[in-house]
Amino acid sequence: MDPFSAEGELLNIHSAFHSGQYQSVIDFDASALSPENKLPAQVLRLRSQIALGQFDESLAEPSIEEDSPDLSAVRALALQSAGKTDAALQLAQELAENYPENNTVQVLAATVLQAQDHSEEALALLSKHQGNLEAVSLIVQIHLQQNRTDLALKEVQAAKRWGQDSLLVNVAESWVGLRVGGEKYQSAFYVYEELASAPSTSAPLAIVGQAIAEVHLGRLPEAEAALTAALEKYPTDVELIANSIVLNVLAGKQTEELESRLQQVQPSHSLLTDIQEKSEFFDTAAAKFSAKVST
Amino acid sequence: MLTKFESKSSRAKGIAFHPKRPWILVSLHSSTIQLWDYRMGTLIDRFEEHDGPVRGVDFHPTQPLFVSGGDDYKIKVWNYQTRRCLFTLNGHLDYVRTVFFHPELPWILSASDDQTIRIWNWQNRSLICTMTGHNHYVMCAQFHPTEDLIASASLDQSVRIWDISGLRKKHSAPTSISFEDQMARANPNQADMFGNTDAVVKFVLEGHDRGVNWVSFHPTLPLLVSAGDDRLVKLWRMSDTKAWEVDTCRGHFQNASAALFHPHQDLILSVGEDKTIRAWDLNKRTSVQSFKRDLDRFWVIAAHPEMNLFAAGHDTGVMVFKLERERPASAIYQNQLFYITKDKHVKSYDFAKNVESPPMLSLRKLGSPWVPPRTLSYNPAERAILVTSPADNGTYELIHLPRDATGAVEPTDVKRGQATSAVFVARNRFAVFNPSSQQVDIKDLSNSTTKTIKPPAGTTDIYFGGTGCLLFITPTHVALFDIQQKKQLAELAVSGVKYVVWSNDGLYCALLSKHNVTIVTKTLEQVSTLHETIRIKSATWDDAGVLLYSTLNHVKYSLLNGDNGIIRTLDQTVYLVRVKGRSVYALDRNAQPRILEIDPTEYRFKLALVKRNYDEMLQIIKTSSLVGQSIISYLQKKGYPEIALQFVQDPQTRFDLALECGNLEVANEMARELERPKIWSRLGAEALAHGNHQIVEMTYQKQRNFDKLSFLYLSTGDEEKLARMAKIAEHRGDFTSRFQNAIYRGDVEDRIQMFKEVDLYPLAYLTAKSHGLIEEAESILEAVGLTEDQIVLPTLEQPLKVPHPIVPTFQSNWPVKAAGHSSFEKALLGEVGVDEEAGADGFDIEEEEQEAAVARETLDEDEEEVSGWDMGDDVNVEEEVDFVNVESAEAGAGSSEADLWARNSPLAADHVAAGSFDTAMQLLNRQVGAVQFAPLKARFLEVYKASKTYLPATAGLPPLVNYVRRTVDETELRKMLPIIPRDLETVASVDLQEGYAAMRSNKLEDGVATFKRILHTVLVNTVSSEAEVEEAKKIIATAREYILAMSIELERRSLTTDSPDNLKRSLELSAYFTIPKLEVAHRQLALMAAMKLAFANKNYGSALSFANRMLANGGSAKLLEQAKKIKAQCERNPQDQIDIDFDPFAEFDICAASYTPIYSGSPSVSDPFTGAKYHPQYKGSVDRISDVTEIGAPASGLRLFVPSQF
Repeated sequence: MDPFSAEGELLNIHSAFHSGQYQSVIDFDASALSPENKLPAQVLRLRSQIALGQFDESLAEPSIEEDSPDLSAVRALALQSAGKTDAALQLAQELAENYPENNTVQVLAATVLQAQDHSEEALALLSKHQGNLEAVSLIVQIHLQQNRTDLALKEVQAAKRWGQDSLLVNVAESWVGLRVGGEKYQSAFYVYEELASAPSTSAPLAIVGQAIAEVHLGRLPEAEAALTAALEKYPTDVELIANSIVLNVLAGKQTEELESRLQQVQPSHSLLTDIQEKSEFFDTAAAKFSAKVST
Repeated sequence: MLTKFESKSSRAKGIAFHPKRPWILVSLHSSTIQLWDYRMGTLIDRFEEHDGPVRGVDFHPTQPLFVSGGDDYKIKVWNYQTRRCLFTLNGHLDYVRTVFFHPELPWILSASDDQTIRIWNWQNRSLICTMTGHNHYVMCAQFHPTEDLIASASLDQSVRIWDISGLRKKHSAPTSISFEDQMARANPNQADMFGNTDAVVKFVLEGHDRGVNWVSFHPTLPLLVSAGDDRLVKLWRMSDTKAWEVDTCRGHFQNASAALFHPHQDLILSVGEDKTIRAWDLNKRTSVQSFKRDLDRFWVIAAHPEMNLFAAGHDTGVMVFKLERERPASAIYQNQLFYITKDKHVKSYDFAKNVESPPMLSLRKLGSPWVPPRTLSYNPAERAILVTSPADNGTYELIHLPRDATGAVEPTDVKRGQATSAVFVARNRFAVFNPSSQQVDIKDLSNSTTKTIKPPAGTTDIYFGGTGCLLFITPTHVALFDIQQKKQLAELAVSGVKYVVWSNDGLYCALLSKHNVTIVTKTLEQVSTLHETIRIKSATWDDAGVLLYSTLNHVKYSLLNGDNGIIRTLDQTVYLVRVKGRSVYALDRNAQPRILEIDPTEYRFKLALVKRNYDEMLQIIKTSSLVGQSIISYLQKKGYPEIALQFVQDPQTRFDLALECGNLEVANEMARELERPKIWSRLGAEALAHGNHQIVEMTYQKQRNFDKLSFLYLSTGDEEKLARMAKIAEHRGDFTSRFQNAIYRGDVEDRIQMFKEVDLYPLAYLTAKSHGLIEEAESILEAVGLTEDQIVLPTLEQPLKVPHPIVPTFQSNWPVKAAGHSSFEKALLGEVGVDEEAGADGFDIEEEEQEAAVARETLDEDEEEVSGWDMGDDVNVEEEVDFVNVESAEAGAGSSEADLWARNSPLAADHVAAGSFDTAMQLLNRQVGAVQFAPLKARFLEVYKASKTYLPATAGLPPLVNYVRRTVDETELRKMLPIIPRDLETVASVDLQEGYAAMRSNKLEDGVATFKRILHTVLVNTVSSEAEVEEAKKIIATAREYILAMSIELERRSLTTDSPDNLKRSLELSAYFTIPKLEVAHRQLALMAAMKLAFANKNYGSALSFANRMLANGGSAKLLEQAKKIKAQCERNPQDQIDIDFDPFAEFDICAASYTPIYSGSPSVSDPFTGAKYHPQYKGSVDRISDVTEIGAPASGLRLFVPSQF
């Protein structure tokens, strides 16, 4: 039986991880689990630590050195997150070579590969999955990042046939929906709203999703209400801040304070780097023009 | 069947409903008649004058009367108000079986075991007709509700129909009789064997083969129903000429005692000695429902004349019941109510428009025909409904609603199953509950079970419990259960919960049971609870978090803290569904939406009080007449006397409240009105406690309390008044008081004088002596004829020395006890300040029609179009390559939506949003000759920043970027366009007003910056119609004029006026300041400044022309006053002392660079974007107004709009 299915004992920890409740994954009491589920639970726990930026701890975790492909894959991810990208890439490629059938390896190695723009390799590895929903959602994301909405849509529709109930499929469908737009914005909104309002899945991840759907639907006041409330609760959540900046710009409000906050929390956020890049681009482009008569 | 009331007594033989009140009369085998209130379940009265069983009772339809007949052969008429038997009708020779009032005439119909049916007139208490013909006991006789007919049932196995029109004629008022009538009278056609023509047998209905116990008419159709000892219920039809048996309802397995027609539905109800109540379909004569009691045989059944209520009498009492729930199934989503009508159609009602939709679906096939659906649950994401019906032990159906309401169509795709409750719990999941298996199934939309939950033992119902959660209702508890985690989150002991109503924000929910409302949070923590003696029917939440609930006859409210009250009474039971402002929306028992008007003031006020929202309270106090004892005592009880004070008019109450909250001013005012000693003394005591001695003084004066007053003056050091007190005491002849005052004042002479006056010479002498007034002492001695040595004096000490006040405390109050100004009062005070401020800021300028912008070169639209596209082709070379790439590549990366934007639009703003700054700049350069982009940088980055959101996806990977569109509904790639922040409307309503405000408040630097920002914002923008393009042009022109005007004035201010040249320039600039086309009010400011400056420098001619222009413009009186004054002065000598370059009569523009006039006819260049004019030498330099564009550059004109995009 699939340990992540509705009846499995890993369901709660699994949905907690995918709804972004990393701390509750870390706090999850794994001692009661049956032996075959201990490893997946540990992997989820380590991934949560990495997601929270505690990669030193996950690297230091003794079992990570053990000769287990799952844990090695976690290690690759930890290396990647810690900025040791070369080592991460090498490990990921090795794992992809040797254990392409392992679910954890598929997902984590592909994550590392994609993070370093080896999208083709990542997709090749992921395509070997056998009913691994996480792999599906990663494939969807890679397609979306490549702006191949059509392929992402196909992938989601295929997955819906066998994994309709899964949180992962619902969320992946919403990702695609937010790309496609039109009526799909509203559907995506419903998914995120549901996640955001249910106590077991409410986390910044879901609130951001809900707010983003509202922004795309043009419902700025609602989006603002959601983000403001969430920001008070999670003042350092990067995506909350980034999207609040976007929202404030749209609403014609000041964003300096939020931008400096984002600068503090994650200076490498694509919003900041992007703006920086565009700012320089502006200057070079503007330099090409000048008045005939200087004043 | 729903039992509403049951009584315990001996065998009940007769029943009657009161037509209006919730009362039922029950006649018992034990000789008692009981009057019950079945709504409250209380016995109101007992009537015990019959001897032996009482078999028949009936209420009079309008009078406070009822009639009873019993085994003592007597018929008694009672008044239930005076609770007395009025009289007895004697005549029957055996048991009286039934008695009934005629619906209009003053007649009573009785049926008796003496085989007769009699009609009595209860007004003159006489027997007016005896009908014979039955040859066994007559068990029942009833009037036809509208016609002159009687039906009777007898143990002779027959039912007879009697025509009593003769009797009516005889007893109606005599009218002029026609010849035919006389003939008819003279030749009675069909007299019975006794020659009786008043009542004749019309039909004899034979068909029962045992005695017949009961017969009833149908209320509207020519039908009868009878019940007999042959265990059959028979249906009969009659016409004018004949009557015949229609059909038989078989089912009772013992004697059928009584039967009647349902007043509103096509049903027959019958009861029998087989202990059952049965309902039959009138048209099919099939059994619809049956209800069995364990031990009690039924004897009689009665229907309420108006309401959907029945009563049946049995061996141990009566039961009042309904056949079906009357609560219409409904669900609410946002502004829509979905509900199921009586004929089982699904309809919706729009609260925003107050319109009812046509039927959307017909649920005719749901459940069984006579059982209405119980609940409705709506899923907005799928536009689906879940309907449950109690038929067949509970069934549910999942149906998709059609897109448009086109009529009552049968649903096509229906999923159904067995359950008593079914609710949506998520977008694509619903929960169904089966009480028999005690199991909750979570199902997906294809109706397959995805999960099974075991609810707590004894669960009776389930409700939605917030997203992903369920509420389990057991008889004693409510439990909150998380479906995903499969665990119980919370539990609360609340008994008998029947309905659950969530607040609009999903934070609170109200648990309704029969007599209690419990408000809980979404995590099931109890917030408050309240009890009602009358049944609670429904509830709904106000948007502000106030619960409105309905009982059988009231709409009430409850705040979260449990404070509650009545809002209005109801004439019929309704089920609340929504509150919006002053309207409460409800469904009535016929499933019709109704709007009830309410006055929400009271609960809004209380809510504002609880939330300490003083502004709102003020608002309410000001705008509505919120008075009444209840609100005052409420406020007082809650500890807000100062607020209560605002409502009270009655001086006594006002005084009490003022004292309570320490508001002495109001108390004083009220005391003056009341003028009662007791009031003064209370006010005095309170004022003393506050240290407000001025009021204390006044109250003492009012009370003529001289002693206290003197002491008060002493303690406040008011010597003058103390002296006056002494005078008054002297005047009053009150020596004690005079003495006291003298002591207070240290006035020895007065004391001595007083002692002398009252002949206390020894004391007078002693006083004089001790104060060293020797002469006085001696004169006293002399007066009494004694000498010094005759007197023995005690040892004298130093005389008392009265201290003198150092601080004139009396002049003002002591530091008064800090008057407890509540924040409410502060708000009350603060408000005044706000008003003033608003007044000062008051001369807001109404948006006036802008004058036509400066002449522009005509735009050649076609050329513009071409150039715009040319531009795109030229610069998009790289993107073209991309484009090819996309078309050819099977896999690999696609192009982002942002790239598409640049391709989809020729507008600069869209290119900016796409991040394609270089092409955007080229576009702007072509369109408006933009060359200096630095000032636009903020705007570029702003537009770019707003273009995308960051959706976190897989942990460890960067977020997914999505592009925000202004074409929200568009999914066609070629038509997608980005959103541009700060649209024209924002610019007009926010930025422009900010600019005007800067002008008004004389912050010109800020104003210039603001208007420049407006220009930049409009430059990089899009609009959605040609009309908006015009508006944008107007905004550009306005901004230009203001920037020009403000710059001129700023230039003037930077000049020093010490040299004559500078002075001249200064005067010129101030004159030019009046030229740009500003709003009239602003131009007045400019004119004012120019006029004053000119006047001060003795340029009376210019000053006069400015004054004239001001007067012509009109406006604020203050300004005009000054203008008039100056005009008057200048007219004496309209000459300029300093000659300036300003001709008030010529048409000219101001060069925006040099601030000198460009007279019409002289050469000039203009800016392609702003249209500002310059002297020719400025051609090619950057526009001073926008800082972006090049003066005189060739340009095609700004494009903000492409018609094909919309």
